[in-house]
Order: sequence, then structure tokens, then C-alpha cells
Amino acid sequence: MATATLTLRNLSYRYPDEDTEILAISALEVGAGERVALIGASGAGKSTLLRLLDGRLRDFRGDASVLGHSLDPAAPPPRSRRCAVGFVFQEFALVEQATVRRNVLNGRLGRTDPWWSLLGRFTDEDNEAAARAIEDVGIAELAERRVDRLSGGQRQRVAIARCLAQDPRLILADEPISSLDPVNAETILALLRDSALKRQATLLISSHQPRLVARYVDRFVALDRGRIVFDGAPRALHDERLAGIYEEPADLTSPERVA
Amino acid sequence: MIEQPRASPGPGMKPRQQQRDQDVWRHSSAQFSLSFAIAALIIWSWAGSEIDIGRLGASGGRIADFLVRMVPPDLSVLPVVLESSAETLRIAVLGTFGCIVLSLVLGPLAAATLTPRWVHLPIKWLLAAVRGIPLILVAMLMVGAVGLGPLPGILAIAFHATGMLAKFYAEAIEGIDPSPMEALDSAGATFLQKLRFGAWPQMVPDIVRDTLFRFEMNLRESLILGIVGAGGIGFYIQIYVRTFQYEKVATLTIVVVVFVILIEIATNAIRRLLR
Repeated sequence: MATATLTLRNLSYRYPDEDTEILAISALEVGAGERVALIGASGAGKSTLLRLLDGRLRDFRGDASVLGHSLDPAAPPPRSRRCAVGFVFQEFALVEQATVRRNVLNGRLGRTDPWWSLLGRFTDEDNEAAARAIEDVGIAELAERRVDRLSGGQRQRVAIARCLAQDPRLILADEPISSLDPVNAETILALLRDSALKRQATLLISSHQPRLVARYVDRFVALDRGRIVFDGAPRALHDERLAGIYEEPADLTSPERVA
Repeated sequence: MIEQPRASPGPGMKPRQQQRDQDVWRHSSAQFSLSFAIAALIIWSWAGSEIDIGRLGASGGRIADFLVRMVPPDLSVLPVVLESSAETLRIAVLGTFGCIVLSLVLGPLAAATLTPRWVHLPIKWLLAAVRGIPLILVAMLMVGAVGLGPLPGILAIAFHATGMLAKFYAEAIEGIDPSPMEALDSAGATFLQKLRFGAWPQMVPDIVRDTLFRFEMNLRESLILGIVGAGGIGFYIQIYVRTFQYEKVATLTIVVVVFVILIEIATNAIRRLLR
């Protein structure tokens, strides 16, 4: 295996007002350039893990190392490390009133001068990186359009372009296809895989549509109540095991069934 | 299980049907009470005002007389009227500038997403109280404090309009979607970059729209400030009407109407530009 992009040891996390641990991972290692899908039912801890790896969720216990640097449970990572990790949000998290190009340039904020940028000035390098990212996701003709005039699939492309403009070495995608139709979902998954390949970045996608994601990754890590219950090639995860991972908790049975 | 026929609902259905009947009854009785209260309010207003329909009929001739006396408009007062309209515009512009400055301070303080409860609640109450004081009263107090002329008018507009504009600014801030800020944070943006590229673009359309709206209101409201000696065209409105110089009132009315329409065309053009 190539050098590790991320290494977790005895990692646990619980929300301040809750007793149970939402995350309890004894060990996980992801190598550079790997493409991994994080699967599991809602509430399994997928989003929590991704936000933690992005440095936005702290106060965890145990050891977590991302791109060769340990995460500090007490402080956010410095700018230079934050921009090396790109994040694609489920609900896109774009500035709706701004143009596509403006939104993609926002991905350069961690790399450009913090004072000059306040005047709206970006370097040639920033502008070129943004243009390249827009080109890569296939929306060059929409560059000057406002985001609130775009469809869901187009918006997710903008969000991916913003992430790519960061020149990330690790891409974290939190349920990137859950609000898209099946055709757009496949396009976005292919785009994430190809972008990661082209930039030799490691890709970690969370999803609760494992059958759809299987073709775009080389490894599945399944979470159940914060614990890793499967780690291996997608084809090794047979249907019965998958059904177990997505088993409905007993308290969700509908009242009709009770009657 | 065989489905129960609709005519005889099962034991589980009865309380739900009763609940629905109760809701319908409560809703319609509330509607009835409201209609009754509105009718009572209108009757009370009418009875208390001692309105004599006969007088209204008899006034037709007098209104016609006014209109006849307004023609032809006396254009000799045009320079005076234009100059005082310009003064009204200056009062509205500077008054709006003053309320923008005050609102830029009080708006963020009144935003529930930015400040703790013990800060934003009292500021919101203060703004509501400011909105509750009529402009004409503020203007009279300002005239008493700083003397006659446009200055008390500017101060009155700035004070009075802040009650509304600061509230609007606070709402623009409260309406910001935090998720783009989170995304910028994730990309390595500094705090100021997050404000500049995450929050500001979301607020600008609301802030510009609200400020233009308030400017138009300020302009209309400042037309009457002169009546209490706070500068502008209101002074001449009062003089000409009270001395029955209707041909001068006609000139004044035409200028005011044209003036307000021109300003609305200008502000609408700005709105289109920013859309």
C-alpha cells in the first residue's frame, strides 16, 4: 500500500449533550490515491467522521492523522492544511446569489493572500485554477451565471469545481448524490472518481446508496452505530451482509404494522 | 382484516372525527367573532366621528371651486418651489445617510444570530419604540432642540427611519445561510474572508432593496417636515394652502408629483441594475 492519507486509532466521538458514542473506530487506514465509499444507515456516523477529518468537528478522543499531520482535538487545522482537504457538501453549500466563477474562486481563499482577496483581487494562478476546475466539471458555458438559476446537478458540479480549485490531496464528499436523480447521481460519481484520478487525490465518499457507488470506488467501509462492521472490496459485500448493515431499528416500525 | 364501511367508523375513528368536528367548530366561531369585532370597530368609528353625508354632498361645489381656482397654475413661484424641492431631496438624502450609519451599528447588534439574547432583545425593543414615535413629533422636538431649517429635518428622518432600517438589516443578517460560510471555512478562508465572500454577497440584495425602499419613504415623509419648520417644501405647502393661493398650490403639486415620479424611476433603475 502507498503512504497513508489517513490513519485513525481508537477514535471516538460523542456530541456534548449525548451519552452514547456516535463514533468508535478502533483502526482505519486509507492509502494515498485510494477511492473509498463510507456506507451505512442514517445516523451510522458517516457525516460525523467526514466532518471530523475535515477539522470542523473537534473534541474527539484517540488519534487521527490526515495527510501526515495529527488532528488537534482542541484547535482547527491551519489554513494550509485546511485547503489541502476538499469537502463536497450534500446540499452544495454555495453562495446562491454569486456567479459560478465567484463560487469556484472561493475554493482558492485558503491559498490566496488573505488581505488582497478582501478587495476581490485574485492572482492569475487563482483565476487559472478556477477556470481549469470549471472546465473539468463541464460547465464552462455557465461560468458567469448565478448559482440560484442552476439545477441541482449543475449546482453539485459547481460545488465539486470549488473543491477541485483548492488543489486538494484528499477529497471528502458527504452524501454528494442524495439530493440528485439517478442519472445526475451517476454523472457526479464519475466526475468525482475521474477528478480524483486526474489529480492523484484520495477520495472518501459517504453514501447510503452502496449499489450505485460500488462501480466508482475500490473499497467499502461500512459503519453501524459508529463502528466499522465491514472493510473490503465492494464485491465482497454480499446482499445479506448489506441488508444487515441497513437493518431497520425496531423503534422505526410503523404504527400500521403494530395495529 | 376486512375494511370497515365508511358509514360506521371503527372504534378508533370516533375520537378523531370528534376532534375534527371540534376543530371546525372552533375555527368557524373564531371567524365569526373576528368578523363581528371588525364590524363593531367600523360602526364605532362612524358613530364617533359625527359624519353628516349631507355635508359631503354640499361640498362638491366647493371642491370644484378649488379646482377652478388652481387653473392656470402660477408659474412665477417655480424657482422657489424647485429650490425647496431640492432642499427636501437633500434632507431625504442626508437623513437616509444618517439612518444607514445608525443601522449599520444597530442592525448587527439586533441580529439574533450574532449577539446574545440580552443584547439583541433590548435593541429590538428600542427599535420598535423608535418606530412607534411619529416623524412629525420627532421633527417638532428636533426643531425645539436645534432651531429651524433643514438640520432638524435631517436629524428627525435619520432617527425615525433607523427604527425600520436597522430592523431590516438585522433580518438580512438573520437570513444568511450559514452553510456557505462553513464551506469557506473548510477551504481555509480566514474570518474576514468568510464575511466578505460568504455572508456579504447573501446580504447585499436585501440591504440595497431595503435601503432604497426606505429612501423613497424618507422622501415622501420629508415633504411634510416644513410644516413644523424642519425645512423643505412643506413650508410652502402650508403657506399657500392657508392663504388660499390655489394657483400656487397647483404649481407646487405638479412639481412634487413629477419629482416623486423621477425619483421612483431612478430607484427602479438601480434595482434593475442590481437584479
